[in-house]
Amino acid sequence: MDELSLAIAGLRATVVTQHRDILDVVRDRYKGFLSPGTADWRIEVDVRRAAGQGAHDDVRVSRDAAPGRFVIERADFAGTVALPVRRASVTFVDANEYSIDSFLRILYSLALVEARGLIVHAASLIRNGRAHLFCGRSGSGKTTLAQLSTDATLLSDELSIVRVSDGWPRCHGTPFWGELARAGDDRSASLGGIYFLHHGSRHAVQAVTPRQAVERLLPNVLFFARDADLTARVLQIAADLIEAVPSFDLSFRLDPGFWEVIDRA
Amino acid sequence: MPEQYLARNSRTAWRVYDGEAVILLAEDSTLNTLNAVGTLIWEGADGQTPLSALVGRICAEFDVEAVQAERDVMAFVDKLSQRGLLSVTASPHEVS
Repeated sequence: MDELSLAIAGLRATVVTQHRDILDVVRDRYKGFLSPGTADWRIEVDVRRAAGQGAHDDVRVSRDAAPGRFVIERADFAGTVALPVRRASVTFVDANEYSIDSFLRILYSLALVEARGLIVHAASLIRNGRAHLFCGRSGSGKTTLAQLSTDATLLSDELSIVRVSDGWPRCHGTPFWGELARAGDDRSASLGGIYFLHHGSRHAVQAVTPRQAVERLLPNVLFFARDADLTARVLQIAADLIEAVPSFDLSFRLDPGFWEVIDRA
Repeated sequence: MPEQYLARNSRTAWRVYDGEAVILLAEDSTLNTLNAVGTLIWEGADGQTPLSALVGRICAEFDVEAVQAERDVMAFVDKLSQRGLLSVTASPHEVS
């Protein structure tokens, strides 16, 4: 067995497999996030043609009989995640980057809850030492906004990670990219503000109430488990996040001038 | 009319902001938000408080006639029950 470790948002996972092509994909796809050292998580990976056969095209995450253990199935992979012992195993149909990345996104969405973190459909950028989180579904302008921000450090143009520790949220770079097809930097910064994206004819920010912010944030949280305890913890983290930093609706047009209205907000 | 009791689905997570509840259902991660009257009913859906007492509170706090309040509450309870958020029983839930 060979292994390779990566760390995303401070959560280190070791991929263990006998398939060199899996490690080659991981080494190449996550090259900015490789990190030797003691792992929080161990992921055992296998490749077999029949993996996931019969499973739905959409991902299915269901609770196993054992506490804190989840079964994850999709047409191209099948696996388990055991939260209490921080172990996962997965069998892919083949060693392709798309399947591996999808499984890692799901695994991290589950593992981060324990670490008081969330994966959010959002672009995130560091500017003037503070992180800014721009939430929105596909087509909302996350990648465009990242491309327009040439003086900012990219954390992600698609899936951002926020962890709340000691009541203060930090936003972390991720390798989970969108249309930009470029990983964020493996850096983190204190979160200065949350912005919900809207296309507009002018740049404008408007503060939203905590209730509005929670209503806007939760549909953008990447979360698959139909589990009452985890759901309660996700809501708690989201609520803590909203209470810690200001939230705004941001209308923007296609030029970098939106940073001026953010700086004034 | 026989007494009824409301109980929140234990597979929900919820918070109240400025008197309005935001509810997340674990089954499908659907988000529901309630107005002030709905939040009063939701907070009172503890399996122990009779529905008539909740109607009484609504009449007192929102200046509504009892008949109107009861009709509105039943419609609201029906909607939340269909969404899987509430259950209605003829007797109080046993406290474990």
